[in-house]
Amino acid sequence: MEEKLTTRRKVLIGMTAAVGSAGIPFAAVPFLSAWNPSAKAKAVGAPVKVDISKIQVGQKIQVAWRKQPVFVIRHSKEALANLSQIEEKLDDPQSNNIDEPYRDINPTRSTSNEFTVIAGVCTHLGCSPKYYPKMEPQPWDETWIGGFFCPCHGSMFDIVGRVFKGVPAPTNLKVPPHNFRGNILTIGEDKGTA
Amino acid sequence: MKLIIFSFFFLFSLGVSSAESAPCGDYGECDEFSPQLNNLESLQLGAVTFLNNCYGCHSLKYSRWNRIAKDLEIPEEIFASNLVYGQTVKLGDTMNGSMKKELAETWFGISPPDLTLVTRLHGSDWVYTYLKTFYEDSSKPYGVNNMVYPGAAMPNVLASMQGQQILSCKRVPIIASNGGVKRDSSGNDITEEKCGYLKTIPGSGTLSTEEFDEVIFNLVNFMTYVGEPSRADRERIGWYVILFFIIFTSFAYLLFKEYQKDYH
Amino acid sequence: MSNQSSGIFNWVNDRLPIKNTYERHLSKHPVPKKVNFWYMFGALASVVLIIQIVSGIWLMFGYENTEEGAFASVEYIMRDVDYGWVVRYMHTTGASMFFAVVYLHMFRGLMYGSYHKPRELVWIFGMTIYLVMMAEGFLGYVLPYGQMSYWGAQVIISLFGAIPYIGESLELWVRGDYYISGATISRFFALHVVALPLILIALVFMHLVALHEVGAGNPEGVDIEKYVDEDGVPLDSVPFFPYKILNALVAIGIFGIVFSIIMFFFPEGGGYMLELANFEEANPLSTPDHIAPVWYYSPYYAMLRAIPDKLGGLIVMGAAIAILFVVPWLDRSKAASIRYKGNLSKIAMTIFVFSWLMLAWLGTMPVTELRTTLSQIGTVIYFAFFLLMPIYTSIEKSRPVPERL
Repeated sequence: MEEKLTTRRKVLIGMTAAVGSAGIPFAAVPFLSAWNPSAKAKAVGAPVKVDISKIQVGQKIQVAWRKQPVFVIRHSKEALANLSQIEEKLDDPQSNNIDEPYRDINPTRSTSNEFTVIAGVCTHLGCSPKYYPKMEPQPWDETWIGGFFCPCHGSMFDIVGRVFKGVPAPTNLKVPPHNFRGNILTIGEDKGTA
Repeated sequence: MKLIIFSFFFLFSLGVSSAESAPCGDYGECDEFSPQLNNLESLQLGAVTFLNNCYGCHSLKYSRWNRIAKDLEIPEEIFASNLVYGQTVKLGDTMNGSMKKELAETWFGISPPDLTLVTRLHGSDWVYTYLKTFYEDSSKPYGVNNMVYPGAAMPNVLASMQGQQILSCKRVPIIASNGGVKRDSSGNDITEEKCGYLKTIPGSGTLSTEEFDEVIFNLVNFMTYVGEPSRADRERIGWYVILFFIIFTSFAYLLFKEYQKDYH
Repeated sequence: MSNQSSGIFNWVNDRLPIKNTYERHLSKHPVPKKVNFWYMFGALASVVLIIQIVSGIWLMFGYENTEEGAFASVEYIMRDVDYGWVVRYMHTTGASMFFAVVYLHMFRGLMYGSYHKPRELVWIFGMTIYLVMMAEGFLGYVLPYGQMSYWGAQVIISLFGAIPYIGESLELWVRGDYYISGATISRFFALHVVALPLILIALVFMHLVALHEVGAGNPEGVDIEKYVDEDGVPLDSVPFFPYKILNALVAIGIFGIVFSIIMFFFPEGGGYMLELANFEEANPLSTPDHIAPVWYYSPYYAMLRAIPDKLGGLIVMGAAIAILFVVPWLDRSKAASIRYKGNLSKIAMTIFVFSWLMLAWLGTMPVTELRTTLSQIGTVIYFAFFLLMPIYTSIEKSRPVPERL
């Protein structure tokens, strides 16, 4: 038998192939979606609420969100005023190199003018930086005016989490979505619901 | 060959009917229940009934609060303030119930079972009938028994709505072996007394029989939904998948026949 | 451009016989030109095997093979995993469809004498596949750890106890514990996911290699190798591509319709595919009112229950499967296909089919005296069909088989 590729055959092959291939992305959807975070993961990763009225001025507390440390710092007015002095030491003072959710609202990098909320995860290799708020010389910086120092490889950040020049960490500490409602800070959510 | 296939399906269908119609205990055949999983109002009312009357003892531990809010299209704020009773519950949590197991066993002799899958286990019609066939029985610890599940340890939680039911006797016509009604010489039906009929004590409940039936329908509708929340989606998507295969098969068949000309 | 790609292809092809294998076993492989729909079930079986492997892997992403977590993890897949219910139902529907397709495939073999010389080994590999499938299905069913998983496993494992002397120790050894516990679940999980699928895939491969060595049969039982052209290609054959591929495509399409109807609208299969008792977590202290296996085991379950002795029932059940292996030597007919066999074979096959279907139905029902008697009759008919075959296929008058298709 001779195989003549008539027009009818071409059309039928085309239609069958088209219908068949059209089905493939739809068939793939359940299998690809099954890898999304499940309802259980989303529940565990749900936003966390913090009562900020208990935090003292100059104090930093640590809260777990999605199994990661989040720092909540209440700054004194003087500490915020000193921020201008440190700008020349910083690699990215305007936070242009990262996703900054609350850019240009407050020096605190938050919607609050008093609190800073940042992920306590060093942007180098993930260690948790330590808080050194006092303005006194430190072994890693003689002209230290307060900030974070990461013990793993020596990266330095200012008190609102912006990275210094010449350190291993490439970018500023990340600001997670958050919102303030009265005395309740919700970490993990932009606009508060109940 | 066709005879064989037909016989197979015939025998299969016999089997199917006996597997599905779960017998309802002393009540006999269960009352029919057809779920309406796209009737959001019914599901919402059912959810309210469940959370107000059942959740005190029975958990829905495989179900999550926010899934119900989402599927029943209840805004999360309204849901949280009206249906979740200010417990320290986050909307993403599972509905683990409010009663401690040990206490429950002391009070009822058995821990009230989790109800997430009860409609899949016993069938929705069984649950529907069960909830309507409690009756007064002073020999039982909580004063009630159930026709569908004799000896159930559950008290009649909805008695205030349904009213109290008792088992009563009725005079019913005697049916002869040929299906006809027996009559005496003057043409009157011959009756006998038969017991085991449910009778509601008038005025003992706040709802009429029809109103109570509707409450239970909505409740069991909700429980059917909780048994398989993705069922509505499953049936909806199913139509499209079957349509796809019908279209595909049609083209494949034409193509096959076209090439079959080469050797037939 | 095309020179480059063909250059790469030739480089590989010189080292790995891609072109040759493709032509020999796929595109140019000669297939009888006239086969009917009964010949599609082998291809469909491979499709279902792939469906089971893919859906099985996806289930593993969410399943927890522990006593505490197993049941809950299945509900987790059904509710919390996006489209997890698709994966779950695909796997349960696939399991039943696997057996449905394989039973029809085996029936084709019985009808058309596909096991006749030189295809005996294809048949034997096939029967081994069936045996492994039955084990695979049983192991898989225990994993959700529902009431039926538990008590079905209890029944089957206690069969081991029927074996004299070693029975009880064997039972304990298979379970790995004093009841069907997490120990049993984790070992059944490993067997179900890795060991048996590997064996199954190897057997399917051998089945196909043996088939390709001798070529497929046809409904007429004609030996198409008798008349070949100058290249040795049988005159009554067509190349696999495109003709049989297109045939298979139609079969897959129809199969897709049936599969989807079941999966999306009747995933429980009326309680015969997903048994309703399994929607309750396993409770070692409470037996369900009515223990029945899934539908594809029911003919053999009916036979097991028909024999009043525990060991006897086990032996009969085993013999019922074992006897399938020797059919190539029981059939003494000159004609392979039922179309050309004598009336005795036709009557025997009809009775056999009705009896098998009756046994299948009886296996799902609770026991009564009448049903036990019917099961015993059915068992006798089942064995008679095979054991008397050497006699009725020899004495009957078969019609001469045509030379050409």
